[in-house]
Amino acid sequence: MAKIKFNLNHKDVEVELDPSTRLIDVLREHFGLKGVKEGCGEGSCGACVVLLDGYSVNSCLLPLANVEGHEVITIEEFSKTKRFEVLKEAFADEGATQCGFCSPGMIIAGESLLSHNPHPTEEEAREALSGNLCRCTGYQSIVHAVLEASKKGEGLW
Amino acid sequence: MVKKYIAYSLDEALDILASKDVYIVAGGSDMMVQKKNTAGLLPKFDKDVLYVSHIDELKKVYEDKDGIHIGAGAHLSDLENNKLVPELLRKCISEVASVNIRHFATLAGNIANASPAGDTIVIDVLLDAEVVLVSKKGIRKVKAEDFVLGVRKIDRHQDELIKELIFPVHKFDKELWHKVGSRKADSISKLSFAGVYSLLGDKVKEFRCAFGSVAIKVMRSHELEKEIEGMSLSELNAQKDELIEKYSHVIAPIDDQRSNKEYRQKVAMNILAKFLDEIIKGGK
Repeated sequence: MAKIKFNLNHKDVEVELDPSTRLIDVLREHFGLKGVKEGCGEGSCGACVVLLDGYSVNSCLLPLANVEGHEVITIEEFSKTKRFEVLKEAFADEGATQCGFCSPGMIIAGESLLSHNPHPTEEEAREALSGNLCRCTGYQSIVHAVLEASKKGEGLW
Repeated sequence: MVKKYIAYSLDEALDILASKDVYIVAGGSDMMVQKKNTAGLLPKFDKDVLYVSHIDELKKVYEDKDGIHIGAGAHLSDLENNKLVPELLRKCISEVASVNIRHFATLAGNIANASPAGDTIVIDVLLDAEVVLVSKKGIRKVKAEDFVLGVRKIDRHQDELIKELIFPVHKFDKELWHKVGSRKADSISKLSFAGVYSLLGDKVKEFRCAFGSVAIKVMRSHELEKEIEGMSLSELNAQKDELIEKYSHVIAPIDDQRSNKEYRQKVAMNILAKFLDEIIKGGK
């Protein structure tokens, strides 16, 4: 057990847990943030993706030890932003969500891309989303939604 | 009950390593999969663990007279975008795992895991990178090629930590990285190939190639490379089939869940043949 401090959704938090605890378990079980989904549990599906210092990472592979002193943003916090509204509208317009299980991870991966590259090419968007699996949509609509958000959200990123 | 240590400085890490037998975890992208447990439960570490991701001394990337130093804690995505990093390595990294994983996985972690399918190890070996190990006793340097001993076996003593990899600065005329996987991104290689060469007039001045995922470790033949170096392009053309036959014995692919030995053998040699053809045409 160790006391570990980090910044979660813009609040300083401290937990006393085993440093090997997976970040996804800390988020879901300790903080009740159920928007972070577990699919494969081994880094392949991207359903558990959160932002770590602004970059998309698989929370199922991150030991709590590595999160100490860093900033974690989950879909719950991101959904309060204007950028989220733009991405959400674009996902809705393009039909980029069906069952919705992959959507939090897709949106976070999209945000990670757009915040570092506000005007991605289609190739760059596909690359950025390549670690996130969707078993409903066939991906086209998701890629289009991210590109659409990039246009409609001009100036936000 | 296994203990978990978080090191905040190199000295702290070396103190722990001097007295304990631990798993060293940097990014965690491979170890957390290897030790995976049921959702909600702790990963199944069967001995103590040392977390090294907070050590700033391990994150440096810089160039000096010895070459390009890549700190063991540098993330793959940082290296992908760093112009100091050899271009062939950056190309390879851009096809490792996914963007999400590259945001926290490390180059040193890839070679330390010593999976036969570790993509960046092919480049480490091809470019004669050195693995720098540090312990309380001092520094030890091992060639990447010698560092990996077999499947998940490396030449690291219990008290040592990988500090960095050093890549010699050397320009070749042409470089090739070719990964064969079941999808474009987020896939583990069925096989991989990397090759470099330079010409001088109509002669091969320098030639190297390395194969990944087709043996217990990355395979490279210094003997065959020496044989090819110095050949004229017409000699290379005349001896091409013979060289491919010789190279076919350098690798020893197996059947597994990702591919089978026949496919791996055939495709590895096809890529080599294409690479040799490019050289024979004078790099055109």
